[in-house]
Amino acid sequence: MSDLPPPAAPQAWPPPDATIVAYDVSRSFGALVAVSNISVAVRPGVTALLGPNGAGKSTLLRMLSGQIAPMSGQVWVAGGDPRTDAAARGRIGLVPQQDGVFERERGIDVVRLSAVLSNLDDVDARARWALDLVELDPDIERPMGSYSKGMRQRVKIAQALVHDPVVIMLDEPLNGLDPKQRRQMINLFHRLGEMGKTVLVSSHVLEEVERFGSHVIVIARGRLAAQGDFRAIRSLMDNQPLRIRVVAEKANQLAATLVNSGSLVGCRVESPTQVEVTTNDVRRFRRELVAASSSQHLRLEEVTPLDDDLESVFRYLVGGQE
Amino acid sequence: MLALYRLFLRRQVTTGRLLLFGGFGLLGLAVGLAINRSANAGDASEAGVGFVYGFGISLMVPVIALVLSSSSLGELIEDETLVYLWHRPAPRWMLASAAWMASATIALPFTVLPLTASAALASGGDQEVIWASLAATTLAGIGYSGLFVLLGLLFRKSLIWGLIYLVVWELFVSKAGDGAARLSINTYPSSVLSRLTGFELPLADRAMAAGVIVPVVVAIAAVVVASWRLDRIDVA
Repeated sequence: MSDLPPPAAPQAWPPPDATIVAYDVSRSFGALVAVSNISVAVRPGVTALLGPNGAGKSTLLRMLSGQIAPMSGQVWVAGGDPRTDAAARGRIGLVPQQDGVFERERGIDVVRLSAVLSNLDDVDARARWALDLVELDPDIERPMGSYSKGMRQRVKIAQALVHDPVVIMLDEPLNGLDPKQRRQMINLFHRLGEMGKTVLVSSHVLEEVERFGSHVIVIARGRLAAQGDFRAIRSLMDNQPLRIRVVAEKANQLAATLVNSGSLVGCRVESPTQVEVTTNDVRRFRRELVAASSSQHLRLEEVTPLDDDLESVFRYLVGGQE
Repeated sequence: MLALYRLFLRRQVTTGRLLLFGGFGLLGLAVGLAINRSANAGDASEAGVGFVYGFGISLMVPVIALVLSSSSLGELIEDETLVYLWHRPAPRWMLASAAWMASATIALPFTVLPLTASAALASGGDQEVIWASLAATTLAGIGYSGLFVLLGLLFRKSLIWGLIYLVVWELFVSKAGDGAARLSINTYPSSVLSRLTGFELPLADRAMAAGVIVPVVVAIAAVVVASWRLDRIDVA
């Protein structure tokens, strides 16, 4: 008898409760391969689609919503192929990325029209309900051409919610919103997720995604770079050497203290007040930096992670695939 | 359907367009009056028919239909708002039909009424010419509106392509011979104008039934093709 544990049963894919499934989808525009052989399954709750600009997020979202057909592979959303199945499309709420809106219409009219085209009864009540959800006054008499970007964005979200869809896809929905509106929208996404809806939100802002929820799909250069729990992916990133710029009075002196303490693996002095350090343990570095500056009575002016932008994250995540 | 129709209608009525179309109408009336003043009593009716054919069916109706219809679906693509209508579970034919109906709703009164009034002025109130003008310009408006809705969906810068089509095909190539004329919308309402008034017009000798049916069939076929195309289009 072997002491080895029995092999794990292969995990069923897609998960039985997945409401969005893309299998091996690809799409090109001329010579540009926008999305290449991506397979993803999304379950109810909030899932973030993360990637830098030009990574292929919007193309993937457009395939998932049926706006464009994949050149190969298959898409299944809310019970059908949204490209060809109108009923399946009717179970999706879509917030496209583009700014274009019906400039001459009032917000309520746009949401009402969406309700009419979704064959809803009591169109007016539904439109008001959807605008209430996004906290926009349904009685604004001005046409949308005079709305701020944040107001337009909220109308776009309201029209996507008016028919109470099973799946909601939002392409960079927080663009143009102020911090308070962003918080409100993120709370709304969470509420929708808790109601059992599948909310797929794309973003290129890492900090934003951190607040969306725990599930994340990372796209880089048209390929799936990572998929799963955000904290696990973030922790992978945190374990990589991180470059940080420190600007302080006698920064070189601070750096020398930290090199001696062992919290740095590299240090480049750019000027007496500015150094670029490399660390494997960000938390320890931060702790010791604060302690050293305090004990030496040196004022810290700037501590900027140089690798904490998305491009760096994706370089790391896709590094193994190249 | 009604909600879509209203949306298209509101999008298409702009001050600039109303001024342009109104200007066209006034020009027509002025020319009609000038013809009436200069024509002899005997040939006023023929001059009126010639005016409706040369200015109305060949220029005013197609240009106004082009401006309106090509923008109906075309502008939705250009300003990227088509997705809000396209993504809903409403049938495609409804979208294409609403676009065409809204275009025709504006194009017809802005062409048929001034042209019929102009024909009445030019012909000195000849009843045959008035009714023939009414029928011919209506048919031309229906046909061109349908065709240009489809054009707006198929081509970017459809206004320019439409003008090229009007100048090259409708004004020149189709006048070259009977074969080409059969493939021109202009021929059919012109034939109706000719048959109803008894005045001969160049290459406008189709049967009355063809003159009535073909523009309507063109419009319906254009809506069908536009619906089919909407089903397959990549939406931004």
